[in-house]
Amino acid sequence: MTEIALEVKKLDFYYSGEVHALKNINLPVYKNTVTALIGPSGCGKTTLLRCFNRMHDLYPGNRYNGEIIFKGKNILSKDIDLIDLRSRIGMVFQKPTPFPMSIFDNIAYGLKLRGIKGRTELSERVEKALRHAALWDEVKDKLNESAYALSGGQQQRLVIARALAVEPEVLLFDEPTSALDPISTAKIEELAVRLKEDVTVIIVTHNMQQAARISDWTGFLMLGELIEFDKTDKIFTNPSQKLTEDYITGRFG
Amino acid sequence: MPVRMEELEHLKGMLVKMAGLVELSIKNSVRSLTERDSVLARKVIEDDHIINTYDVQIDEECIRLLALKQPMGKDLRFITTGMKITTDLERIADNSVNIAERALELNKEPLLKPYIDIPRMREVAQGMVRDAIDAFIHEDKRLAMDVIMRDDEVDDLNQMVLEELMFIMTQDPSTVYRAMKISYVSKYLERIGDHATNIAEMVIYMVEGRIIRHMLPEEIKL
Repeated sequence: MTEIALEVKKLDFYYSGEVHALKNINLPVYKNTVTALIGPSGCGKTTLLRCFNRMHDLYPGNRYNGEIIFKGKNILSKDIDLIDLRSRIGMVFQKPTPFPMSIFDNIAYGLKLRGIKGRTELSERVEKALRHAALWDEVKDKLNESAYALSGGQQQRLVIARALAVEPEVLLFDEPTSALDPISTAKIEELAVRLKEDVTVIIVTHNMQQAARISDWTGFLMLGELIEFDKTDKIFTNPSQKLTEDYITGRFG
Repeated sequence: MPVRMEELEHLKGMLVKMAGLVELSIKNSVRSLTERDSVLARKVIEDDHIINTYDVQIDEECIRLLALKQPMGKDLRFITTGMKITTDLERIADNSVNIAERALELNKEPLLKPYIDIPRMREVAQGMVRDAIDAFIHEDKRLAMDVIMRDDEVDDLNQMVLEELMFIMTQDPSTVYRAMKISYVSKYLERIGDHATNIAEMVIYMVEGRIIRHMLPEEIKL
């Protein structure tokens, strides 16, 4: 049986103003797999993704109930070090978010924050991360150029490399290809699948075919509830719930 | 962009039309033998190209829907089942053509004996095809299961016919040419029953999402 990386237990989430955005979510995230969260707009999939590294804490008034167990600890508890949590559970956003600095420094930045100062070690870690994100061959001769000179797809892989540099255990992808062309999308998808050898991947996507292509497990959410969670091939060929069936065949949503 | 209902209905409509022609070809091929009507036998052979055209058109439509609509769930199962059903229907029609070819040969010879079991087999096999297609249209897994259970009946009749023909051949070697041809006809009808069973198994997959091929009937629990 596969090991569980993250376990969501009886999770409720309220945005400030008491909007009940997630209702009693229970869900295992298996280690070294890709889990996709799908559902119509406003279903809560991004809200759920942001719970995994406590992104909601950036805005006052948001409130969690329940637990998300990670390495034996509830990451929703007050005494969790958020900087540490976010380096173990990294996030890649919809639009690429490179820092306004060189390609090299984009990756070295997080490492320096973690006290890695030696030039040799930095270089090694930067190269490793760029190779890992399948970007090294394209940028190795221009590491000192601005990250903004890269294409959108390359920027997205740079951001993934930046997240990988600090050796996280989980990577969260929030619609990582919605701003990319099909070729760049294919590269990111390939990467996400390859990354699961080292990290656990959770991806939110509006593109059902993308979820079907790259994930091992899929959760379908609607109106803040987890309607169905199962192996991806089951969800897309023969789901158990009528609501899931209606959604994946495009009968609503 | 999901698969539209009209597209699924259109596909279903083509399959129903094809199945109707296939049923007619079974019926007429056996009639051309029992009524010694070689004109009808030639018509069965000539009309086969219409069924082949449907086979190609249905495949093309299924491939188009798979490529352009990337269907999921129930729609995916419906379309893939459609693709497989059309292959079985096309092969059933080929068996009808084979029966008509044997009829053309046998009709030139004196009657060996009145045809009794062959029309009976035709009735069971054609009924299986009709019900398998009905089960597909109405997503009726019980009817599909019923078709699967009926396959033994055709198999038993085939066995009986073969044994009887074997006996006739051992009694009088001059009957061998005709008896062999009739045994082929019996075998073709038995194959038609197998193809109907394949269709019925696909219907159960379509409804339940469970592949039950290569299972014994008693292992299939609905």
